[in-house]
Amino acid sequence: MTFAVYLPLLLALPLTVTARRIAARGTPGSAAWALTVAAVIAAACSTWSLILLALTMLDDLPPLSALDDHPTLELPEPVPGPIALVAGLLLLAGGARLLTDVRLRLATYRDLRAISEPGERFVVADLATPMAVAVPGTARRPGHLLVTTGILRLLDADERRVLFAHERAHLDRHHHRLVAAAAAAAALNPLLIPVRETVAYLVERWADEDAAADVGDRALTAKAVARAALATAGTPPLTALGIGGGAAVQRVRALTAPAPAPRRRRLVVPMLVVVVFLAVVTVATGEFIALARAWL
Amino acid sequence: MTTKDGRRAPGTLEAGVMGVLWAAATPMSAADVQRELGGELAYNTVQTILIRLHEKKTVERRRAGRGHVYWPVEDAATAAASRMRAALAGLPDRRAVLQHFAQALDDADAELLRDLLAGTEQRRQP
Repeated sequence: MTFAVYLPLLLALPLTVTARRIAARGTPGSAAWALTVAAVIAAACSTWSLILLALTMLDDLPPLSALDDHPTLELPEPVPGPIALVAGLLLLAGGARLLTDVRLRLATYRDLRAISEPGERFVVADLATPMAVAVPGTARRPGHLLVTTGILRLLDADERRVLFAHERAHLDRHHHRLVAAAAAAAALNPLLIPVRETVAYLVERWADEDAAADVGDRALTAKAVARAALATAGTPPLTALGIGGGAAVQRVRALTAPAPAPRRRRLVVPMLVVVVFLAVVTVATGEFIALARAWL
Repeated sequence: MTTKDGRRAPGTLEAGVMGVLWAAATPMSAADVQRELGGELAYNTVQTILIRLHEKKTVERRRAGRGHVYWPVEDAATAAASRMRAALAGLPDRRAVLQHFAQALDDADAELLRDLLAGTEQRRQP
């Protein structure tokens, strides 16, 4: 086995490096989709690489290592034992992180869903903390909005229309699925954590654009987002997007600019990464099959 | 999100009315609510929503003059608040898996946002 099996472990990097630039321009929806699909494929490929590397430990199993005593039957030893061992450990760690993330998400949604009566589309919680959550539904019941009295009192009637339109956009477009898929990819391959953060940001931008189109006023939408964010000032940010201010600042800035036009060219990088990934993984798998034949 | 025929998605109308009632300090009549919503909805629509909310026991009302004044039922919201707090308690931070309209920010960002907000305000004035 040559370098092909190691490549997918690093190929996530071009995606990580370009994610922010992809998010900066164009419509947020297409970028969110492209980055999520690319991240999921990147994570699947790097996991498959780890599986192949870990499987080379099989040559240490008694029936195979017994063959080592026959000098005439020299077995190929393509991957050094320690590397295979590290691959196995990384695989286990990734699996554990994935499990933790999925369980955390499902439990949080389940507990938040339990707050509303079935069929209720809007629930108010009497809390001073300004919060609004789009609680995703299930196959049997639609999602609902959960808002605190803190945020209702903070915004005026027009700004509340922005808020409701924004949260409804999250529900109607099933944004939680994209975010969960990107998070699963980042759990398996931590190099993809910046991509997960970018997808979470893009989903907010997407709902902002939907809300702006719905209320027909970008400046009003910007004002609502800014006022809601300012009310939380002083508390540490949950996600930092780095350069040029945090996510809230970038959302407001994007809304004060004209509505974005689709720019398909910026999606070339994630698509290219996907194609290269699939090619490399095919080569690595072919090599592994050849190796397994030599062993047996 | 509006539906295809221009009507608002289910729940959004009720959310608008409930938002007004919660933001208000005192009970409101249907006319008060309609005015607060900026004339976005017809008086009869507001009236219908309020009656429906009253039937669902989400709002309470009492007679005032020729009509009623309405205010939100606090018990349900208090119960929802404690369940929400319980749902988001614990480690790791469960809020991190949710999408947030109100995004937390540091002091430098707050300064930037105030500037941006000032810019928007100016631009909105013709």
